[in-house]
Amino acid sequence: MRVQLENLVMDFPGSRALDHVSADFGFDEVHGLIGENGAGKSTLVNILGGSLAPTAGTVSIGGKPVTCRTPRDALEQGIAHVSQEGSLVPGLTGAENILLGEEPRRAGVISRRDLMARAQALLTEWFPQVRIALDRPVEDLDIADRKVIEIVRGLRGDIRLLILDEPTATLQSREKAQLWDIIRSLPGRGVGVVLISHFLSEIRALSDRITVLRDGVHVATLPADSATEGALVDLMLRRTGSGAGLGMRRDIPHPGAPVLSVRDWQAGGVQVPDFTLRAGEIVGLIGLTGAGHFGFARSLYTQAGLVGGRMQVGATDVTDRGPRAMQRHGIGFVPDNRMTYALSGEGSIVENLSMVHPECAKILPGGILSRRRETQEGARIFDLLGIRASGQGQQVKTLSGGNKQKVSLGKWLYGAAGRYRAMIFVEPTEGVDIGAKQEIYGHIRKLAAEGAGIIVASSDLLEIEHLAHRVVPFVAGQAGNDIAAAEFSEARFIAAMAGETTQ
Amino acid sequence: MSSPTLTATQAPAHGQRRQWVQKYSTLVVLVLMFLGFSLFVDRFMTVFNLTNILQQIAILTIVGTGLTFGFAAREIDLSVGYTVGLAGILVPLLLVGGTPLPLALLAGLAAGLVVGLVNGLLVTRVGIPSLIATLAMGSILFGVNFLATGGRAIYGGLPDSYLFLGQGRLWGIPVLAFFMAASVIVGWFVMERTIFGRYVYAVGGNQKAAELSGVRVTFYRTAALVIVSVFAVVAGTLLAARLGSGQPNVGERYLLDGLATVFIGMTMFRPGTATVLGTFCGALFIGVINNGLNLIGMDTYIQNIVKGVIILIAVAIVSRTTKLKLL
Repeated sequence: MRVQLENLVMDFPGSRALDHVSADFGFDEVHGLIGENGAGKSTLVNILGGSLAPTAGTVSIGGKPVTCRTPRDALEQGIAHVSQEGSLVPGLTGAENILLGEEPRRAGVISRRDLMARAQALLTEWFPQVRIALDRPVEDLDIADRKVIEIVRGLRGDIRLLILDEPTATLQSREKAQLWDIIRSLPGRGVGVVLISHFLSEIRALSDRITVLRDGVHVATLPADSATEGALVDLMLRRTGSGAGLGMRRDIPHPGAPVLSVRDWQAGGVQVPDFTLRAGEIVGLIGLTGAGHFGFARSLYTQAGLVGGRMQVGATDVTDRGPRAMQRHGIGFVPDNRMTYALSGEGSIVENLSMVHPECAKILPGGILSRRRETQEGARIFDLLGIRASGQGQQVKTLSGGNKQKVSLGKWLYGAAGRYRAMIFVEPTEGVDIGAKQEIYGHIRKLAAEGAGIIVASSDLLEIEHLAHRVVPFVAGQAGNDIAAAEFSEARFIAAMAGETTQ
Repeated sequence: MSSPTLTATQAPAHGQRRQWVQKYSTLVVLVLMFLGFSLFVDRFMTVFNLTNILQQIAILTIVGTGLTFGFAAREIDLSVGYTVGLAGILVPLLLVGGTPLPLALLAGLAAGLVVGLVNGLLVTRVGIPSLIATLAMGSILFGVNFLATGGRAIYGGLPDSYLFLGQGRLWGIPVLAFFMAASVIVGWFVMERTIFGRYVYAVGGNQKAAELSGVRVTFYRTAALVIVSVFAVVAGTLLAARLGSGQPNVGERYLLDGLATVFIGMTMFRPGTATVLGTFCGALFIGVINNGLNLIGMDTYIQNIVKGVIILIAVAIVSRTTKLKLL
């Protein structure tokens, strides 16, 4: 028996996430599903799990077409989806989470004793060798145990196909091995697995067959033992025309003096023993979700969750902490999620631009501002960045993504007159169209050319490839070895993000 | 504005019309109401009555201007009415006890500073949402006000110089109107033309973004709440002077009316944002309704109903297109 997908099409407003994808998943195999971010993996498994209804195409089980409009429909067909983010309810025990929504009742009242017994029975049935204190609240359990609980919950009832989305992304190697054994054991018991993972070694070790998606299109399905990692990477990546129009840069400048350096930096689960940013260079930070590259970039500016470490700006030790101190030292920060962390949507463009340095328009003591000077400085930023709007008074929330991002960057140029020696960018072009992207890259390069040190943390590997002079990969909170510009390739990045040291 | 202008100016005309409706519909309603009363109510359009309206809305405007600072920083002060009441009995109590006028006025201001500071620290340092912290503070002040007076009015022996502040006229214009004008001008200037105002709006617009931009968020939230209380004690001091007595329960209605002026104000100029000029128009709005309906001889209870309906209509027009984010 198998689940067959035929000619699935999924359209979202403005984009096609799946384009006539056909695939089949057996109940007696582990089936790896790989592709870059945005290749359509999540869309595919969401359709399979009943969370999304396809625009066109059919899903059939054993030759009979089925319609799964909700996750509950899918469960009734024997398909369960364990998503990437923890789906456990904090505050409830492991047993309560396993039987959530199907609690055994006596006279209408949930029976705690029956609940515990049934949850324990389910756990033992599937994983006789695993011991978990199911009577504890799930937040007290370690992360591998929580994953097992999610899987057991997925397996309750008559399940024939289990979808696992990045099940080991957050696990240490010992826990990983334990989960691998569990995944391997499922097909023998009549449960097929669809496995999504960024770790190609994991995919190859666990899967019987592998399906590759790219840009919403089915590229290949092949037996796992016939595919080398290199071949899989080739299949995953866009190989032609990828750099078109992005203004590829390959020349490596002669980096200047250190502008920002940290030693033994420990913040929010990220450890960086030694990192130095030099004047004029653009350093890219990459990693899988949760690997710590974003956290490290943020911590350099906010020092949130800082446990220990020393920071130097230029040759001076920095002991004061937080955004205000960093600004004084000439370090700026353009965060991701701009509407949450950078901009006031209700405010006008000029109000937002002047949020960091309103004092540049001061004409009298007491912080009294000249409207004329504000407008002049605002106009300078408008011209510099090419912000397109009806005027400086336009509300930021009405701007396009690219123009919003320009305002977010413009905050650090308005009234700053080159005082920022280091700029930290997180996802500098998320939700920005290709034209504006190119402009923003231009501004970032210009800042570097003018002598600022630039950090760009991004999940867009193409962006890193085109922008950075060197790359620091992060794996599980640790900074790995530098990748020099000469070695840049998406394959190299992906390998480094998965912690594989291919020299 | 000297800026490259491309895409947004080519927006369809109906979008601009909608924007215009958003910004000025309340103002148009105000003008229409004013014209209507002028045409159909005999005694409305007279110098005496118009100055009377100014006198009636002066204290409300001062309270509303203070609340505007709070709303701009996205903090609400529900204790404001009792803070008005606090000053309205503290200053007369001191005067009746023989304290010189300047000292008594300073004591009133100091009381406002203390109340505002406690509110601000409860919100920023202890972390209680301002809605709850100031609700509790209001209850405390209510008790203090009644304890201090035994629930009775304080009158007799108030110096003429004090009463002049609330009842006198200069060149035919009520002294209260000068206070109102001063509070609006100072409030407008601080909010629109100083770094302080920029930061208060930044904190209210997006606190996280302001913090990451290096704005001292705690300071500006506290300061906004202090300003609300300081404007409230000024209003309370003038209120007692106007009434000629200190009464423990007259401040309460300034909470709801004060909030109403800010809400009405948030429908105009920069929809969704509290502005000092908007609040002033909101106070005018309420003043004109009250006055006109009074002259018609409408029952005060029905007046309240009419006022409520008009406020709902004004806010509804804006809410259809802009989210009024209050807290």
